[in-house]
Amino acid sequence: MTWALVVRSLFRHPVRTALVVAGIAVAAALLLDMVMLSGGMERSFSRMLLSRGFQIRLSPKGTLPFDTEAMIPAITPILDDLRADPDVERVGPVLATSLHVRVGDSLLTLVGYGVDPAGQGLYELEAGADLVPGDSTGLLVSEPAAAAAGWQIGDTIRLQGRLDPQSARAEAERVVTVRGVVRFLYDARGQRSVGADFRVMQRLGRFPDADPASMVMVKVRADDRVDSVAARIARTHRTVEVNSVAALVVQFRSRLVYFQQLSLILATISLVVGVLLVGTILTITVSERIGEFAVLRGIGVRRARVVRLVMAEGAVLTAAGAIGGVILGLATARYLDAILTSFPGLPAAISFFVPERTAIAKAAVAVFVAGVAASGYPAWLAARAPIAETLRADAE
Amino acid sequence: MSSFGVVLLLHGLALAASTAQPLPGIAIERRLADRYRLAVGDTVRLTPAADRPAARYLVEAIYQPKADPATALRGEYQIRFHLPELSRLLGAADRVDRIAVLGRPGIPADSTAFRLNQPAFGYRAYPSERIASESSRTFAVVSRFHRAIGVISIVASAVFLLCIMLLKVEERRLDAAVMRMIGISRATVFRAFVLEATLVAAVGSGLGVGLAAVAGALTNWVYRRRFETSLVFSHLSPDIVAFGVGLSLVLGVAVGALAARRLVTARPLALWRRAG
Repeated sequence: MTWALVVRSLFRHPVRTALVVAGIAVAAALLLDMVMLSGGMERSFSRMLLSRGFQIRLSPKGTLPFDTEAMIPAITPILDDLRADPDVERVGPVLATSLHVRVGDSLLTLVGYGVDPAGQGLYELEAGADLVPGDSTGLLVSEPAAAAAGWQIGDTIRLQGRLDPQSARAEAERVVTVRGVVRFLYDARGQRSVGADFRVMQRLGRFPDADPASMVMVKVRADDRVDSVAARIARTHRTVEVNSVAALVVQFRSRLVYFQQLSLILATISLVVGVLLVGTILTITVSERIGEFAVLRGIGVRRARVVRLVMAEGAVLTAAGAIGGVILGLATARYLDAILTSFPGLPAAISFFVPERTAIAKAAVAVFVAGVAASGYPAWLAARAPIAETLRADAE
Repeated sequence: MSSFGVVLLLHGLALAASTAQPLPGIAIERRLADRYRLAVGDTVRLTPAADRPAARYLVEAIYQPKADPATALRGEYQIRFHLPELSRLLGAADRVDRIAVLGRPGIPADSTAFRLNQPAFGYRAYPSERIASESSRTFAVVSRFHRAIGVISIVASAVFLLCIMLLKVEERRLDAAVMRMIGISRATVFRAFVLEATLVAAVGSGLGVGLAAVAGALTNWVYRRRFETSLVFSHLSPDIVAFGVGLSLVLGVAVGALAARRLVTARPLALWRRAG
């Protein structure tokens, strides 16, 4: 009987009910978007860093990986030491440098990555063949680089490094063959990148005699030993910065604190709007129908049942609004994500709004609980109305 | 003094010490001085990399850099060197990252940049406007995001306003019925309700502007402390106030008029019955 009464009551004012549901839906959509925004960046960043299973990064002291042009000098003894560690499964040194190739009569600038094929965590092969250890003439190219230069798998090209800015003459050159097309995991959209053997890239890049690396990726055998291995590496190699993925996520979070606080503020506002909407509408509805509730009480309906009746009305309104809000929120999240992922230089793998079941459930439950709680006051008003006085006032 | 925004690793810091040879001077920004309790006359040791030897410098000045949104959120510290000193420290003699060129009055920057690029090897000339446009792309993205969130907020508040105004006027069914029955014309009743809706919308808008001003001040206070900057994070401009108030008034009056029209077109007895 309660639900039948609730439905009948809501359909008595269809325009009003539709507007309330629409209002709750928009508030719920904003809340869902903000819940996704608050945790989505971190999850997406963490997923990107862990996509190849490497849990530790070594970078030049005082920097984060690829944050500056600084390099770790004399990397070979560090790599030997890491490879000798029984807890370490794989080690992947990376050197990033600027390279150039001649395309027609112009010079195309590329980002060159030096990788160790035996322990790379930088790319995923999309077409052709991967580099094999010791392949000093192979080249992997990103789709944008291949498109810009018009390369096909099997093409032979001449890479130029250390270009003299005055004469535009290269100090180092290397003839290589395109082995495959890859997706570099940390590249921005449209970034023209190529990958070659680590030692080849050292010879093409700056300071070839310094035995440099931009970053080293380390894969630890057991996940529960990541922190202890990172601490041990940091103690042994004091000239490098050692960060686990968890520590990098903390650093990332501190840089994106603005978005997290914005999401918290907007999520709170959307909840407040939802609560105000349900609370106000139901309070006005209850005062309109106060005589009806007095009649119900007069014919023996208990206070608890009247409370349930009003709260059920609030629950139906918020449930309908929450369902609409989830659909609307997922649609707007795609649009907002498209805006934020157009940040210049942002890796293409990063997403700001990650639709996960927990985020959707959190937002829906928060809206539902807030809506039901907001109907508590009108329910109390309906239940505590004195029967005789209310009926008399209503009759007059 | 050159103005390179270069971040260097602070290898070690020592308080003032007298030295036989005059040390090269540097200027450090106020936040860095506060962070490491440095004062003018102190000696610091700086190195470009952890494994390279450190050189000693004398803090000659402490300065407050211009608030720059591009760097404020990164929290990096800046030190200014005399150009030859920085070159010596980095081991990159006779090299610069950028050269600022001030053109003669009346000559367009575009044509100067074009001429400079004709024989150029090793550099590229850009008009300042283009650099500003390129470096503000990040903020253009943030601005687009804010606009999108703003549209969602406006839709939410518009629906909220619609509900409230609709209920507010419908609540007055009995009053409308009584007014009509004692002979007050439809037009007068309509005007009265629209006026009431306008007043409610105006008071609500005023309160909203006050709330926004307080929220904006709080936002600026929190973020300026958080990022140690004088940047303005929240700016309530007259345009924004006019847009917010205008939208609220238009919505409030439109919905009030819609609801009032429903009241005045209904028969007074029907209104009386529904109000009862």
